[in-house]
Amino acid sequence: MVHALSEIRRVLIPDGILIDLRPMLDRWHVEVVSARETNVIGRVNDFEVGLADDTTANHAMAQAELHGWFIREREEFFPFVYSWDTPTEMEEWLAEEWNDFIGWDEDSKRVARSAWAMADGDARVQLRMKMLIARWRKVTGIRHDPFSSPGRNKSDS
Amino acid sequence: MTLQKDVEGNEKKYLHKFADFTNKRVLEIGCGEGRLTRQYAHASSLTVGIDPDQDALRVALIESPHNLKSKVDFARAQAEQLPFSKETFDLAVLAWSF
Repeated sequence: MVHALSEIRRVLIPDGILIDLRPMLDRWHVEVVSARETNVIGRVNDFEVGLADDTTANHAMAQAELHGWFIREREEFFPFVYSWDTPTEMEEWLAEEWNDFIGWDEDSKRVARSAWAMADGDARVQLRMKMLIARWRKVTGIRHDPFSSPGRNKSDS
Repeated sequence: MTLQKDVEGNEKKYLHKFADFTNKRVLEIGCGEGRLTRQYAHASSLTVGIDPDQDALRVALIESPHNLKSKVDFARAQAEQLPFSKETFDLAVLAWSF
């Protein structure tokens, strides 16, 4: 990942901008939502693999900053909402797409099904994710690039 | 399946809050099916989306609106070995990539 950041730096112009946009595991809320009301009915569970991915990504960006490749100018978090017609559809989608990263336990599923069944006819089920967005600026006059080939010093010749 | 993504529209709002895409040459790493690409590419002078998933890139190409075809390109590549010359892009978006 640090190597990827080195490559991105290479193809950016001096003072070029890198936007880092990614979800951050944070036991995201599950909601049942209708036109009339929103009910938070539980949370999903974070798995070690997903948490490790977040840690690795954060570490890579920190290394890029440490090497003097990029400087962080701005960072915020915002909600990103996935929405399904029914709890069953959400359950199937999570099992197919994200079963390595998050889990939805049986008790929480039961609560969601019940809340959805009791809600208004237009009710949907949602997953409210936490997203990170950060703006980094390429720094010129690099301090250290561990991926560059070692050049020969004048004293070598 | 009736999945809807970003129903509150926050991603597009924050993306444009954090970056000015106007007339910029943009590289998107991890473009997938181009969902994010379509939210800013109209403003750019050139956008290149890369992803290792060839099937996702096919969808990105098919779903790319006609008015974006001249300024958007998709390529199979990995971030660790970008097939571009140095200092090609003004802006890079690392999209859901890690």
